[in-house]
Amino acid sequence: MKDDAPSQALPDLVFHVLLALGHGPTHGYAIGKDVEEQSDGRLDPTTGALYQVLRRLTDEGLVAPVSGPDDVDPRRKYFALTRAGRRAAAQEAERLAALVRAARQRKLYPQRA
Amino acid sequence: MRIYRWLLCLSPHSLRRDYGAAMEEMFARRMTEAKQSGFTRQAYVCTREMMGLVALAMSEQFGAAARMRQRRQRSLSGPKAGMMDVTVQEFRHAARRLVRTPLFTATAALTLALAIGANASLFTVVHRVVRNPLPYPESSRLIALDYGFPSRNIPSGITSMAWQLYFQLLDQARTLEGVAVYNSSPMTLTGRGEPQQILVTHATPSLASVLRVSPALGRWFTESEGVTGAASVAVLSHGLWMRQFGGDRSVVGRSITLDGEPTEVVGVMPATFNFPDARSEVWTAAQSTRATASFLFNLFGVARLREGATVETARTEITALIHDLSRRVPNQSGMASSAVPLQESIVGRIASTLWILLASAGLVLLVACANVANLFLVRSETRQREVAVRRALGAGGRSIARYLFSESVLLAAVGGALGVALAWGGVQLLIDFGPATLPRLNEVRIDGVVLAFSFALSLISAAAFGLIPLMRLAPVATTLQEHGRGQTATRGSHRARQLLMGAQVALALILLIASGLMVRSFQKLRAIDPGFDSSSTLTFAIVLPQVQYPSRQMATDAHLRILDRLSAIPGVTGASTSSCLPLTGFCYGNGLIVEGELFDPKRARPFVAFRAVAGGYTDVIRTPLLRGRSLTRADVDRRELNVVVNKAIADGYFPGQDPIGRRIRSSVPPNSNLPTPPWWTIVGVVANTPTMALAEPTPVGLMFLPMSIAGGPDVPREALLGPDVIGMAYVVRSTVPASSLVGAVRRAVDEVDPNLAIAQVRMLQDIVDRASDQTSFTMILLAIAAAVALLLGAIGIYGVISYIVAQRTGEIGVRLAMGAEPRSVARMILRQGGLVTLLGIVAGLIAALAGSQMIRSLLYGVSPRDPVIFSLTTLLLLAIALLACWLPARRAARLSPLQALRTE
Repeated sequence: MKDDAPSQALPDLVFHVLLALGHGPTHGYAIGKDVEEQSDGRLDPTTGALYQVLRRLTDEGLVAPVSGPDDVDPRRKYFALTRAGRRAAAQEAERLAALVRAARQRKLYPQRA
Repeated sequence: MRIYRWLLCLSPHSLRRDYGAAMEEMFARRMTEAKQSGFTRQAYVCTREMMGLVALAMSEQFGAAARMRQRRQRSLSGPKAGMMDVTVQEFRHAARRLVRTPLFTATAALTLALAIGANASLFTVVHRVVRNPLPYPESSRLIALDYGFPSRNIPSGITSMAWQLYFQLLDQARTLEGVAVYNSSPMTLTGRGEPQQILVTHATPSLASVLRVSPALGRWFTESEGVTGAASVAVLSHGLWMRQFGGDRSVVGRSITLDGEPTEVVGVMPATFNFPDARSEVWTAAQSTRATASFLFNLFGVARLREGATVETARTEITALIHDLSRRVPNQSGMASSAVPLQESIVGRIASTLWILLASAGLVLLVACANVANLFLVRSETRQREVAVRRALGAGGRSIARYLFSESVLLAAVGGALGVALAWGGVQLLIDFGPATLPRLNEVRIDGVVLAFSFALSLISAAAFGLIPLMRLAPVATTLQEHGRGQTATRGSHRARQLLMGAQVALALILLIASGLMVRSFQKLRAIDPGFDSSSTLTFAIVLPQVQYPSRQMATDAHLRILDRLSAIPGVTGASTSSCLPLTGFCYGNGLIVEGELFDPKRARPFVAFRAVAGGYTDVIRTPLLRGRSLTRADVDRRELNVVVNKAIADGYFPGQDPIGRRIRSSVPPNSNLPTPPWWTIVGVVANTPTMALAEPTPVGLMFLPMSIAGGPDVPREALLGPDVIGMAYVVRSTVPASSLVGAVRRAVDEVDPNLAIAQVRMLQDIVDRASDQTSFTMILLAIAAAVALLLGAIGIYGVISYIVAQRTGEIGVRLAMGAEPRSVARMILRQGGLVTLLGIVAGLIAALAGSQMIRSLLYGVSPRDPVIFSLTTLLLLAIALLACWLPARRAARLSPLQALRTE
């Protein structure tokens, strides 16, 4: 994983899910909402698509299921970022930042005020 | 929710175990959320979520193996492909395979497209006409006022209202937030080109607030404009505004001429407003006051329930209010409200027909799916061996399933897309050829919900025919063994095939029986003797403008002058006029009082319909004269108080007596300010003619009276004590074709008054045809469904038997070589097909008997379990099925043993 990680762009939806979990542990419905808001409605995963990603992220160790508050629907599942997940999100953010820097240098993006 | 859970089963077990419950919970939350944004949004979200699950299942099931392969290839092919790419790739391969077998693909896609198209077009109509709420805010609180006389065994159906009752409800009903009454009548619009007749709805100003609508331009009527004596004002329909005024916004404030009277236009309604129906083109303010309100039931009523009130509480209250009124006006005792939701009153009658038609289209889809499944079975079987070899070499069952399933999904998608295109055409056809009684047609269009429905249908059918071959993946070893001999297909595959064949037979039989019953009903309906001769008779309506013809005498004179000129047209053998034609409605009606008989409320008889006629009316339409004589021109000219009654009145009022010479009169409520009508003498009895429908449960009493005395010669026409003669329907019987007659009619009318509009020009036969419209519409659609099912079924049977013959060619060869008779070989094949057909027929008969109650309401004069229809359709199906079996069986018998054995 480590050796090819820097060159590997995360799929859009995966990055957004990791971002959504950046606030702290939360559940599928809230993740879906956050993804939709963060992407200005560009991404609106179905329940199926969302859980497919969550499962893959769990399998890859970027996300882990955690227990939620006691007072909610017991069926609801909560997820949290693992350390690896945080690192992956940070790497992706860095990669994007590097791209933005490159774009700025080539005058493709407005300079900071 | 159940469907979601069911679809969830498609996804891998591990995913379901870990997250199934959480996904269900999330889906439920999303649905609740979508519900708040309306039905369309809900349908969209639901479909999308379902699709998401299918995509998930496919990419998980099929993607697992692909990911393994991808991982292995990653070093060669660069960046790894996402799950979606794998699916896309899979579809690309499937598409290539389908293109390589164009005949199979075209057959399957077209079969599906037809079935999906039929379903989608009928669903469009059902959805927009029956399910979609009326286009008024909170339309579920709107009710149509309706009454019945439970004591006279009339539970409902008296849809009329009287001004007295309107004010009573307006002032006292607590369950109603608002009440409006209206009626429609044709009026002549002059001053803009040719005079034309348009339908004008006179409504109380409260109509707009009850329906909660407002004009697109200008304003609606004010309360003061609904008071007797106020200046007349009109609101135009969007259609008339565009047609007559080219959409000119300055029309508000201008004046139009209705029946010769200038009327100020105060507003234009939006295009979506069609109340009471799309024919109404102008609304004027109906005028009355509490002091002058009449008790004649010549209005319709609509009301809005107050928040929290139900139809039942409103009925109870209205009935009590009527009772209260009848203490003052005893004639109405026993009347009870049977108000129904407005939507039900508009679409109630047609709804069951549409649902049944949609169900039959659903059956056709099942037959089509069975056929396509069969095609797929054959297709998968020819590859069975290749597949088995692959699996023996290590290919997972899933990769093969994926391989087959992607084809069915693609086919269903193509079929669905074509189907939607067909539905678009189908909806147009339904609109053009649907019965004239089909309401809300202007609201019918294909929308998101219909698209979602078609999409879901394609998906379900893909699952239906795609999964059958999947389930049939036999264990590797047996497949290899059997195909090593290359002779017979597996036993299981035959069973699947025969099951499909039997199902097709059963479904086709259900549809055949249903359409057979409809054909029989239609025949019975058309065989009814309507009591008049509709051949070669032209009819049209002329409504005289009230201002130019203020008295009954003037109106009668004008009509008679027109009749004189019509009679003079060469080829015309008879011309007359009536205030209302058969099959066009109950029109004016009232109670009758027989001279010398005491009024007994317990023996109250139903109202009878009055017809004001010119001389010879019943002779021109050739209604058989049973006793006495018909009314003549002399009766009209001399204002004789003579009337002719039909058999229903003679039997109902004078049982076992001779009605000729007896005297009757129109009943008026005592204590009312109306004059007492005169006594009329019965001079003749004619046969019954239908008023509203060809098949009337009990014949309606009809009384014909000279138009010059309608309601009594000295009674002012405003008293409405008899049918108004201002608008009359003409009948002209002639020996010349109608097309050449119309011009002559126009000239004849012009000679009397060039400002008169001639409307509703049609043959008397058209009116009769229209009366059986709904039955013929249902019959034709059911017949088409049955024919398609029969055709598909026959093709299915033929395919299955041919396949069996092909599979058994080797065996047949051996049999023939051993000396078997060709005929016995044919019989063997026939027996096999026949057995399955018989089982299918038994299943179909059971289903048809069980479902027979569903269709009862659409039938006339035939039992839903009519043995003749059941046996005839069964025989027809059996014959066609056996023919479909016999063709391949004959081929088997004609095989030469040598040739047969060589195929091995």
